[in-house]
Amino acid sequence: MRILLVEDDPLLGDGIRAGLSLAGYAVDWVHDGGPALAALASHQYDACVLDLGLPGQDGIAVLQALRRRGDLTPVLVLTARDTQADKIGGLDAGADDYLTKPFDLGELQARIRALLRRAGGQAQPVLSHRDVTLDPASKRVTRAGREVALSAREFALLEALMRHPQHIRSRAQLEDSLYAWGEEAGSNTVEVYIHHLRKKLGADFIRTVRGLGYQLGADR
Amino acid sequence: MREAAAHAPLRLRSLRWRLLAAVCAAVLLLWLLTGWLSYTQAQHEAEELMDGNLAQSGRLLLALLRDNEADLRELAGRLATVRGAADNIYEPPLEFQIGRADGSILARSEAAPHLPVLGVTGYRDIVREDTAWRVLNVASQDGRYRVQVAQSIALRDRAALEVASHTVLPLALLSPVLIVLIYLSVLRALRPLDRLAGEISARNPDNLAPIPVQQVPTEALPLVGAINRLLQRVARTLDNERRFTADAAHELRTPLAALKVHTQVARLCREDAAREHALRQLEHGVDRVSRLVEQLLRLARLDPLNTLPDPGAVSLHALVDHTLEALRQSTPAAAQRITHTLSPDTPAVAGDADLLQIALRNLLDNALRYSPAEAAIQVAVEDHGQAVDLVVADNGPGVPPDALARLGERFFRVTGTVEGSGLGLAIVARIMALHGGRLALSNRPQGGLRAALCGLKRAAADCARPLSPHAAARAAGGRQSGH
Repeated sequence: MRILLVEDDPLLGDGIRAGLSLAGYAVDWVHDGGPALAALASHQYDACVLDLGLPGQDGIAVLQALRRRGDLTPVLVLTARDTQADKIGGLDAGADDYLTKPFDLGELQARIRALLRRAGGQAQPVLSHRDVTLDPASKRVTRAGREVALSAREFALLEALMRHPQHIRSRAQLEDSLYAWGEEAGSNTVEVYIHHLRKKLGADFIRTVRGLGYQLGADR
Repeated sequence: MREAAAHAPLRLRSLRWRLLAAVCAAVLLLWLLTGWLSYTQAQHEAEELMDGNLAQSGRLLLALLRDNEADLRELAGRLATVRGAADNIYEPPLEFQIGRADGSILARSEAAPHLPVLGVTGYRDIVREDTAWRVLNVASQDGRYRVQVAQSIALRDRAALEVASHTVLPLALLSPVLIVLIYLSVLRALRPLDRLAGEISARNPDNLAPIPVQQVPTEALPLVGAINRLLQRVARTLDNERRFTADAAHELRTPLAALKVHTQVARLCREDAAREHALRQLEHGVDRVSRLVEQLLRLARLDPLNTLPDPGAVSLHALVDHTLEALRQSTPAAAQRITHTLSPDTPAVAGDADLLQIALRNLLDNALRYSPAEAAIQVAVEDHGQAVDLVVADNGPGVPPDALARLGERFFRVTGTVEGSGLGLAIVARIMALHGGRLALSNRPQGGLRAALCGLKRAAADCARPLSPHAAARAAGGRQSGH
């Protein structure tokens, strides 16, 4: 899952990036509204964490510009302004959720999980397919009730596939959701992780769609 | 003022009641004057009419007298029957005496006053036996007879009064109608004011739009204009207040949020390097919050001051020297970017050495922080005679023009990518206000920002005091570097 962080404060931005990386997200960090809009236009993000107190373009303006061009990326607004009017203004401008500084890292992660769940159209917090369940909150995967140990990358890849069980995800798309800017992906890393996942979850759990990418195997 | 207004009687404060009272008083006064004039006029006319009656009666009697002297006794009796009705004041009883030229009375009515029939001819008012009479003496042409006719003045007055009151009464009856009409007109004329008051009182505090002046009466225009100007000022103040609160919340809560996030990251991390990084960031954050608190306290100490705490003559040369020395001790590399052109005979200024040093240090810190590492910073003095400016100029990128005006505001920062509290320039501005000068910020034509401590007063005697060791220590320790 790839997240765009828009935060002008170096100290806070560094903290949030570290906190979200700990939760297994690939985080891209920009400092101002202009670069944020550019990044959102060029990449498919699963969610965006947007600070409203930006130096150049105000966060609300960024949000409005984003929605005006039809971008549906879930946006969690981060702000120091906590009056009712500010919250209403933020939500009306197109925010999906609202968090006031200072906040709890656990709450930030939970709210992002909720955003991802809603964006994927799931009602259940735990994703499941066949006999495999994936809990984004506890980072645990079980197969037939027994826990399966996955690395962070394997987990992220599996989550990306399980969020949209019907979709075929290309290798590039899967890479995008695994690596933030500046993180080098090996030429065949996705294949390597898929191979590991098949070993742990069953050979036909992930299907290769020739020339297109990967998809979860059909429900039995 | 408000107390007095609250205690003043309501009717005096109401324009409507004052207008009503004034118009009604004027109308009533006019009405009384008209009434009195009509009354006296009517009375006068009635008297003249009745005098005419008297004369007619006198001459009628004289005409009857001629050649009828023998029948006089009978005449008196007959004349008694033409006495008017007692209750009709317009037909007063005719009282008469008829006599000869020698004064002997030939006939008289019963109630006629006993007066000598000989007397000056013409009208006279006479009081006899407690009754006032209007008397007319006439003589026949041959002089043989005298006729005296009289009317009771009490009766005449009653008649005159009656006539006069009949002319005045309609006026009196119409006056309530007039007052009601006045009342209604005043109400109607003042209705636009009521509407205006209604419009203003129906507003909620968020609606600070100007009052539309299209339907406002001319007299109320200055008032509405003043209210609109006030609304504008209030809106501006509120706007500034909101902006200040938002800026303050951002500047105070962001470092706290950073502290919290790094704390939690440090706790959750399993790798030593990442935990170490989070802890370093945490420490850095605590330093930042400490600086913020320091600056807040400094502002809080400066805010209530009206005068300089320790005024004296301050040598600008020594001030710059000490400040640069302090900077050199904390950040030697940064200090190398700063040059100055001050000579030891630079004038001394009147002021507080400690505060001026803080101001200069803040300007230098800003120049160092917001210009690229290779940018040069110059300190110079501009001598304007009585006033002296201390200028810090850099050749960095400068400041966007729209942000320039807000630069001295508390918690306002141009760019968020460099850490700062947004209070440094506010402190400088406050220090300069205490010195009777100001902080002047402008972009230099050749690029970079020019910040000036403007309007420092030249010291009376050129005997500059050295800076106190306390001031030097504060300049060195007040703003730790390495952030």
